[in-house]
Amino acid sequence: MGTVVAFGFAAFALAGGFIAQSFEGLKEGTIRSIGHLQIVDRRAVKQTEEATLEFGLKDAGRARAIAAADPDVEAVLPRIEFVGLATNGTKSVPYLGLGVDPGPEAAATLARELVAAGKYLSGGDGEDVVLGTGLASALGAKTGDRITLMATTPDGSLNAVDAVVSGLVDVRIKELNDRYLAAGIGLVSRLVETSETVSKLVVFLRRGADEKKAAARLERSLSAAGFPIAVRHWEDLAAFYGQVKLLYIGIFGFVGAVLVVIVILSAAIVMTMSVTERTREIGTLRAIGTRPSRVQAMFLAEGAVLALAGCVAGALVALVIRAILNASGIILPPPPGATHGLPINVKFYPLAYAAGIAAMVGTMLVASWFPARRASRIPIVEALTHV
Amino acid sequence: MGATDRPILLSARSVSRSYRLGAGLVPAIRDVSLEVRAGEFVAIQGPSGSGKTTLLNLLGLLDAPDSGEIRFEEERAAELSENAKSDLRRDRFGFVFQTFNLIPVLSARENVAYPVGLAGKTASERSARAGELLAEVGLADKADVRPDLLSGGQRQRVAIARALANRPAVVFADEPTANLDSKTADEILDLMRALNEESGVAFLFATHDPRVVARARRVVSLHDGRVQSDGVREP
Repeated sequence: MGTVVAFGFAAFALAGGFIAQSFEGLKEGTIRSIGHLQIVDRRAVKQTEEATLEFGLKDAGRARAIAAADPDVEAVLPRIEFVGLATNGTKSVPYLGLGVDPGPEAAATLARELVAAGKYLSGGDGEDVVLGTGLASALGAKTGDRITLMATTPDGSLNAVDAVVSGLVDVRIKELNDRYLAAGIGLVSRLVETSETVSKLVVFLRRGADEKKAAARLERSLSAAGFPIAVRHWEDLAAFYGQVKLLYIGIFGFVGAVLVVIVILSAAIVMTMSVTERTREIGTLRAIGTRPSRVQAMFLAEGAVLALAGCVAGALVALVIRAILNASGIILPPPPGATHGLPINVKFYPLAYAAGIAAMVGTMLVASWFPARRASRIPIVEALTHV
Repeated sequence: MGATDRPILLSARSVSRSYRLGAGLVPAIRDVSLEVRAGEFVAIQGPSGSGKTTLLNLLGLLDAPDSGEIRFEEERAAELSENAKSDLRRDRFGFVFQTFNLIPVLSARENVAYPVGLAGKTASERSARAGELLAEVGLADKADVRPDLLSGGQRQRVAIARALANRPAVVFADEPTANLDSKTADEILDLMRALNEESGVAFLFATHDPRVVARARRVVSLHDGRVQSDGVREP
């Protein structure tokens, strides 16, 4: 029985650690990409732009400075989102463009870490662009190549600028990788013919900052300064994160439920056998004055002690398996929408261990309940003569 | 004080008990009336199937009669809850079984201390009482030994010590010598008799062992579930 509990617990602890690691990685990756908060024009919350920067945030430099002054804010990154065509003269491919402030962008996000070839954008108003490897492949472009970017301006006219491919980046979401293009905000401003207007300001907070309070504060200070803005929280923007989280919870919840059922059945069988084997002993205990409730409590306590002992053994098993898995270098298949698998990394997640103990003790108590109740109700004379 | 002057501890009034065997009912005890007084040393004898153990179980509140009434110190057993009966067995009764029925995972001391613990005594009180009783039954040096390492006679001594743990008024002994050789059986009976004389605790045996009957001061004979004779012997 202890073995079933031990392996049940180990499975809980390992799965919990793996889930925690997955969620944390996913959360970290999401925040490093879209920031903790985003400041946008109020209209952009409910409406979709039909023209470039139709609902852009004007006077972005001043808004950025106000936001950056907040004590919980670590960085404020301006971004211009636009679409267009990239061409090498012979072939044109549509892209999803992102205008960024290269230095702060590279410092706060994973942008530089995603570079697969060449280098990330240099600062200033240079002609550098980075392309997703999928887009580069479709365009037949490599680092150092010159390309032309075309896009529509806010008034609907078509404009074009020349650019140099400084690097290729491996965006981990395949569909985005096939369309991704990033350029310095100066180049993008020239392309879409705008100045001091951005699609959004992406806000990164200091570690430990209260996201909700910071959002409320930013909304107040910017509104007070005359900006018709809304501050959006990363969880509201990252639908993908929520979906993957729900998917994982569903999968692991199901596996957990199966585990619990296995432990309950095994424990119930073992406890029933134990009651049967010890019927004479139960009769003796009852004869010499043990109350029925105490007999029941003894078997329940036995179940709980068995569960705790199994959990201790299971924790050791989990730690050993965790060490082996983390040292194995096994690469997991890419999660939904991602292009790259990640090395397996099972975290030591105390909450999973606590939940495992609660689950195993609870399961054993449930499994022991009916055998224990039966033990307390066996007629004494019958129990004393049990063979 | 003569035996008949002592207060009545236990009484059975027109007690009957049947057991189901297949489709039919087999009567084990039929209309038995009996009184046991404080400090008595009583043997209930009879052939196999005469109802000795059934009567002992009924008097010891381990079982309930189909009809009739069992009383302990004028308290009607039928009116007691299961917990109250447990408490009564714990505090006022002691039990010695043919197969000793010690808890195998507990040492001799722990077996004896168990009922003391049930009565809410502290660990030191339990241990002290168990040590005292084990010394009394001549097993002081075996206190920390588990039952499987003890001889049959030693196990029965531990069982007697356990039965006396909470200073009971009466000890029920069901065939206590059946699994013992004759020398050990004699020693055990001498021990019980001495305890009866020294502490005044009543002993009630179900037995067909003539050695037990020979030592008893009162012998109740059962036949086919009925009392055939009930005689007191002069010492």
